Amino acid sequence: MAIMAILRRLVKNRVSLLGLILLAFFAVVALAAPWLAPPEAGHDPYRIPRRGWALEPTPPSAEYPLGLTQGQYDIYYGLVWGTRTAFRVGIIVITCRALIGIVLGAIAAYYGGLWDEVLMRFTDIFMSFPYLIGVVVFVAIFGPGLNNVMIPLIALGWMPYARMMRGNILAVKQEEYVLAARALGVSDFKIITRHILPNAVFPVLIQASMQIGSIVVSVSALSFLGLGAPEGYADWGQMLNFARNWMLGEQGNALKYWYTVVYPGLAMVLFVLAWNLIGDAFRDIMDPRLQA
Amino acid sequence: MLAYIVRRLLFLPVVLFGITALLFALISTLGPWTRVATFIPSPDAERHVDLEAIIRKYHLDDPPLKMYLRWVKNLFRGNLGWSQSSHMTVSEAIARRFPATLELTLFAVGPVIIGGIFLGVIAAVRHNKPLDHITRILAIILWSMPDFVLGLAVLMVGFGVLGWFPPGRLSAWAQLAVLKESFVAYTGMHTIDALLNRRFDLFWDALRHLVAPVFTLACLWWAFMLRVTRSSMLEVLNQDYVQTARAKGLTERMVIQKHVLRNALIPVTTVASNMLLGLLGGVVIVETVFNYPGLGLLTATAATRLDVPCVVGVALFYAVILVVVNLVVDVLYSLIDPRVRLE
Repeated sequence: MAIMAILRRLVKNRVSLLGLILLAFFAVVALAAPWLAPPEAGHDPYRIPRRGWALEPTPPSAEYPLGLTQGQYDIYYGLVWGTRTAFRVGIIVITCRALIGIVLGAIAAYYGGLWDEVLMRFTDIFMSFPYLIGVVVFVAIFGPGLNNVMIPLIALGWMPYARMMRGNILAVKQEEYVLAARALGVSDFKIITRHILPNAVFPVLIQASMQIGSIVVSVSALSFLGLGAPEGYADWGQMLNFARNWMLGEQGNALKYWYTVVYPGLAMVLFVLAWNLIGDAFRDIMDPRLQA
Repeated sequence: MLAYIVRRLLFLPVVLFGITALLFALISTLGPWTRVATFIPSPDAERHVDLEAIIRKYHLDDPPLKMYLRWVKNLFRGNLGWSQSSHMTVSEAIARRFPATLELTLFAVGPVIIGGIFLGVIAAVRHNKPLDHITRILAIILWSMPDFVLGLAVLMVGFGVLGWFPPGRLSAWAQLAVLKESFVAYTGMHTIDALLNRRFDLFWDALRHLVAPVFTLACLWWAFMLRVTRSSMLEVLNQDYVQTARAKGLTERMVIQKHVLRNALIPVTTVASNMLLGLLGGVVIVETVFNYPGLGLLTATAATRLDVPCVVGVALFYAVILVVVNLVVDVLYSLIDPRVRLE
């Protein structure tokens, strides 16, 4: 019920409606990728096809509408399948973060005392670890790759959700229906799963899903540094990495290779913008102080 | 108050233990040569001479706990291992690169904080008026701009099209001038050193190289500061004491300056300190885009060459800064806002 009410308000707000439309567009592109940019038979669809072997990018043409970036990788194909990568990476990282946060936060809050103290100090330790540098350390040790970027992003990102979950539960725990269940002798496991979780988890999940945009930026940033997706993998960050060497164009024509940066950059910005527009409106909806 | 500080201080070793233990566990999964480089600050590791001899020489076959303790002891002495990507000890590499990052940070902090707060105050005072909407939309667009996209765009326009703001830290001639013996490097920060040496041409050159990265950082953080300041201002503007101040007949300017701004800026200080930490930690992306040789570029280069000791060293260096600055900020915070202490 709450979800529908929030969704209705998001649609009513013009700003978040724009965000929802953008997001729907990206979702359609991701789902329709096999038809929008059919992969060559027998090839991994996530590998961007190369239309030649020259290093220098080729400008947009009738055949390749968005042009070919460094190494003749097809920009259009990379963007379409990169949308899938973006959603997949964002959803996996956020789901794992939220799960870890919810479980640890639930244990800390429900059992309290020593459990709470130990788990929260554990959270503090993880919090004091430098985020991006932590990810870089992990990649340097275990080698580059999309999975090796996602693992530390999960390991270093669950803490806010654990804290939030703990706070929510501490609030719900005092509710009378929980006290009643306990008085009736219902088991701990059942109280947690049936009564506390549903009422404390929902806000955490919403908060977490709003972070998908920033996750995609983090992963792309690492691909941009050459630490993420392997060369040729359909990933927006990597396509911008390709563009890096051609940024300055040539003498007298500085913008010669504009298409290598503008299209992937635009996809990236619009994707993050969509999440931020929804997130911003959402914050206003959830914050009663801004209602007046 | 004292209890609060003591509690925070007692937690400090726990955090440092957690971080070092975590890193040590990660390092232990590495192959022998990388481990040698991590523990030994000498080019031995790079030359790939006799592995057995090195292991014996430095007691690298000790049980893990003993190894860990010795490693931590070495860390306290500033021994962070050998960096294969920069061919020097990690501490030396950090010492060389840190002034560059510090310089960038110092130039970025002022404009970001002052500009961000100014814009946030304007947006809040004109709540729901056109100016508020414009700054809000601008902020949300900037905030959605990944740093590498904005950085590439700034580089393209600032250097590619206009030719004004080159990447790097100094032009080739300036680099030579800095290395000359007549030039005394007091701080390692080129702008300040140039002024102290009265080399205004050098100062100008260093400044020109700083504009683009500072502008990129400022844009990204302005958006953030603006949003925090705005919502914090709006919250305070709804408080009863603001109504009271207005009812007393104070001018709106007075109300904003004396009653609203002071209270609204409390959460903003946290954000500002976080920003400072983020910047000091080596703004990895921005330094890479502009090829600016600070801690961030050092980390990125080391990581792509799988130079573990260097990356781990930077992480430790940064973790210590992070923990200490956080502590100082929290204590200052409890001084500014008595409510914090009571939690």
